[in-house]
Amino acid sequence: MVKTERMQAEEVESAPGSAWLTGAAAWFIPGLGHLLLKRWYRAVLMGGAVWLCFVIGLQMGGHLFDLNAAEGSSQLLQVPPMIANLGTGLLYIVSWLLGSGFADDPQQAARATYEYGNTFLLIAGLLNYLNMLDAFDIAAGRKP
Amino acid sequence: MRHFLVMMLFATLASIVFGAMAKDTPYERLLYGAKVFAEFMVIGLVLSWILYFIP
Repeated sequence: MVKTERMQAEEVESAPGSAWLTGAAAWFIPGLGHLLLKRWYRAVLMGGAVWLCFVIGLQMGGHLFDLNAAEGSSQLLQVPPMIANLGTGLLYIVSWLLGSGFADDPQQAARATYEYGNTFLLIAGLLNYLNMLDAFDIAAGRKP
Repeated sequence: MRHFLVMMLFATLASIVFGAMAKDTPYERLLYGAKVFAEFMVIGLVLSWILYFIP
C-alpha cells in the first residue's frame, strides 16, 4: 500500500518537458498554452480575460512597473508589482519596448481611472500566472 | 455609476478565469464562476459602504 502511494507520488512529481514548454508558452502569450493543448474554450475564456484586462488597464491610463523607481521611492518597492505585471509575458515586453504605460506622467496619474488601470494591469499578470499553472497541470496530466 | 461598472467588469474577468480553471463539469464551473462574481460584488459593496462612513 505504501509502495503504491510512493509510486503514485513519483508519477505525479515528474512532469514531462512538454508540460514545462506549455507552461512557458502560456506565460509568454496569454491563451497559447491552452491552444497548444487544444482546450479551445479555456484558451478563449482564460486567455481572452487576460488580454482584455491588460488592454482595458492600458486604456484607463494604468502604469506598468519596472525597476526604475520614481524620485523618493525605493527600487525594492517596484519589484512586487513588476513581478505581477511581468505575468502578462509578451504584452509586458512589447509595452516595454514601445515605452507604452511606463512613463511617470503626472497628467496620466491625475486621471480618474489611473488607479483602476493599475489594478487591471496587475491583475492581468496575476491571472495569467493562474492560466500558466492550469496549462502546466493539464499538460502534465495532473488535471483532466 | 462608472465605479460600479468598472468593479463589475473587474469581477467578471476575474471570475471567468477562476470559474474556468476550477471544478470538473461545465455546470459546476459556471456555478463556481457565478459564485465568485457574486462574492466580488457583495464584498466590494460592503467594503465601500464601510469606507463611506469612515472619515
